[in-house]
Amino acid sequence: MDFEFSKEENELLAEVRAFLKKETTPKLLEETAKLGLIYGGPLGREFIHKFAANGWLTLNWPEEHGGLGKSAMLNFAVREEMAYARVPLIFVAAHMAGPTIMHFGSEEMKKEWLTPIARGEVEFALGYTEPQAGSDLSAIEILAEDRGDHFLLNGQKTFNTHSHVADYHWLAAITDPDAKRYHGMSMMIVDLKSPGITIRPLITMAGWQTNEVFYDDVIVPKKALVGEKNQGFYYLMAALDYERMFPLAAYQVVYDRVVEYAKETMVEGRPLSKNLLVRQKLAQLAIAFEANKLLYYRLAFILDSGQIPNYQSSMQKLFATETAQQVANTCMEVLGLYGQLKKGSKWAALEGEVEHLCRTSVVETIYAGTSEVQRNIIAQRGLKLPAK
Amino acid sequence: MDFNLSSEQNILKEAAHKLLAKECTSEFVRKMAEDENGYSPALWEKMAELGWMSLLVPESYGGSGVNFFDLSLILTEMGYYAMPGPFFATVILGGIPVLEAGSEKQKADILGELAVGKRLLTLALNEQDGTYSPKGINLSAVLKEGQYILNGKKLFVQDAHVADTIICAARTDRFKSGEPEGISLFIVDADKPGLVIEPLDTMAGDKQFEVAFNSVAISEDNILGEPGKAWPVIEKVMLMAAVAKCAEMKGGARKVMDLAIPYVKGRQQFGRVVGTFQAVQHHCANMLTLADTINFMTDQAAWKIDTGLSFEKEAAMCKAWVSDSYRTLVGLGHQIIGGLGFMEEYDLQLYFKRAREAVMMFGSADFHRELVAREIGL
Repeated sequence: MDFEFSKEENELLAEVRAFLKKETTPKLLEETAKLGLIYGGPLGREFIHKFAANGWLTLNWPEEHGGLGKSAMLNFAVREEMAYARVPLIFVAAHMAGPTIMHFGSEEMKKEWLTPIARGEVEFALGYTEPQAGSDLSAIEILAEDRGDHFLLNGQKTFNTHSHVADYHWLAAITDPDAKRYHGMSMMIVDLKSPGITIRPLITMAGWQTNEVFYDDVIVPKKALVGEKNQGFYYLMAALDYERMFPLAAYQVVYDRVVEYAKETMVEGRPLSKNLLVRQKLAQLAIAFEANKLLYYRLAFILDSGQIPNYQSSMQKLFATETAQQVANTCMEVLGLYGQLKKGSKWAALEGEVEHLCRTSVVETIYAGTSEVQRNIIAQRGLKLPAK
Repeated sequence: MDFNLSSEQNILKEAAHKLLAKECTSEFVRKMAEDENGYSPALWEKMAELGWMSLLVPESYGGSGVNFFDLSLILTEMGYYAMPGPFFATVILGGIPVLEAGSEKQKADILGELAVGKRLLTLALNEQDGTYSPKGINLSAVLKEGQYILNGKKLFVQDAHVADTIICAARTDRFKSGEPEGISLFIVDADKPGLVIEPLDTMAGDKQFEVAFNSVAISEDNILGEPGKAWPVIEKVMLMAAVAKCAEMKGGARKVMDLAIPYVKGRQQFGRVVGTFQAVQHHCANMLTLADTINFMTDQAAWKIDTGLSFEKEAAMCKAWVSDSYRTLVGLGHQIIGGLGFMEEYDLQLYFKRAREAVMMFGSADFHRELVAREIGL
């Protein structure tokens, strides 16, 4: 066993860290925070183009597709660095669609998409959820009718977070409405500028924008189909297994600031950090971050061993997101009444960051598989408990 | 990073699993709780033949000088089978202080015998305060004509009844009461006049004792390390013991999973297997998450000890995390196994009781969180 990065890994991480330090501007941070860490804003694109020119966006991809052929371990570590720097972190094209194309796409599709994705030149929006299909993705209804040389799409998506800043929709649609469950779905790449697409904003309690996307007789060329027709549900599930990872460093940054705050803030004549309860709570979070780190890098280790993580991805998602909420709540408690004050308010502590984190943390245990779904997966796949 | 065991480590682990599966059945565990000695000399010999006591002892003293991590694998198997006996007291609590602070002669005398299972040891540390703080060490050692005279009482001394040697922490400088300075470790032969050993009746049936020192005379040669400077040694030993205890808990956690998961797959209620109920599945998922994190935190801390670098942070994080998690895991095991798990004849109780003791030993979760707080600069 070995719980350290190799020398080579540390060297590359130091380079990445130096780059992030040098290139991150307050304006970029502001845009990224406003977008909820998703990729696609103008400053984010400018930044990621430079970042990706080093091969760092997809450094575990083969060189022929714009990667560096490095380990998943390094890829995971770089994502933690990006999360800590609070630059764009959530990539649908580079981290979800790309690997799926690489595994299941035709040679033509690989040529068309992978290099631009690796360079950060295009971004996709995830098009899975529909009003009646949340946790149960097999219940989607959006219809892609086969019209010979094209598909004709009609239906609706919801909670599609990237749609207003992305270029393409990574869309799950029904291509065979008569097929048995799981067998009539296909994945396709749809230009979000296509006639017939309407995007309606939904504003979250975190102040971020997500969207409803309506498809009204949208024509999609056949070459947009990913892999084989009607295999979409399988691709979608596989993508979740090899790409499901949750860097927690965006929470670690705020936690680190709160630790400093506790050291500097005098309450009743002594630093807050000398209060035994505060010490216990902050120490407990440091321990939870450590446990998460081990669950997180286990995923990379499994991938680098040539296997696909299974229940382990669900476990890390569950653990990281529940820890995230504990971080938000504990930080709020440490700040006390000041914790409720928003950015810009008189007397706001830490620029209202904790107040915002507290609101954003709500969705963590819901999106990309709720905690309940993750627990089902852990029980059924990890412990082989029967589903029925 | 590498999350796998080496092939040698796998062999070691398998060998331990195999021996204990045969020799350390739950009937044996129950019998030893009632037995006055609390262990089987025959099994002890077999363990010695396999070299388990020698793992930490350097080759120059007749050991195999492997490492702490490999020892932790053996402790995990012992935890799995709830193995009773003086292994932990001898190898960890007695052996490590000698390794850390002993003179060449002391090491040669003690470790050579320890490595082959011929010398049983223990550590007399806690007193009436029941804390792991220098303030709690008040047993007095007064130098008189080349001999230290020890007076006072030690509590919770593990396996003192079978130990050949008791390592005792005492205050050699009474003017430094309450401070880390002025504490020394003594090598005490268990048959010294003035030693009175009285058993305590413990929850798990493991053997712990009150050891009274009534003017016990110890020669100056039997001081371990520099007089008055033992506290840093004790702190280090306690952290290593904490990680070692976590390794046992790691094994216990695996055993509880092995009891609980097959049970919910077989047990039927309302016409279906209870393992199909989501409420039960979610308890099971939580148990697996706890078990996996217990494994990783323990492995990381044990690995860190062997690097020779400072391991305070990893060890304290490990003990805090594993203590809380193991107790929760056993509790969930009880919840999903139901009434059967409450029966004395069912094995789950063995693990419940050991868990309750283990979480307190060598510092509770709160104690170790405080260490972590210091480590992160609070």
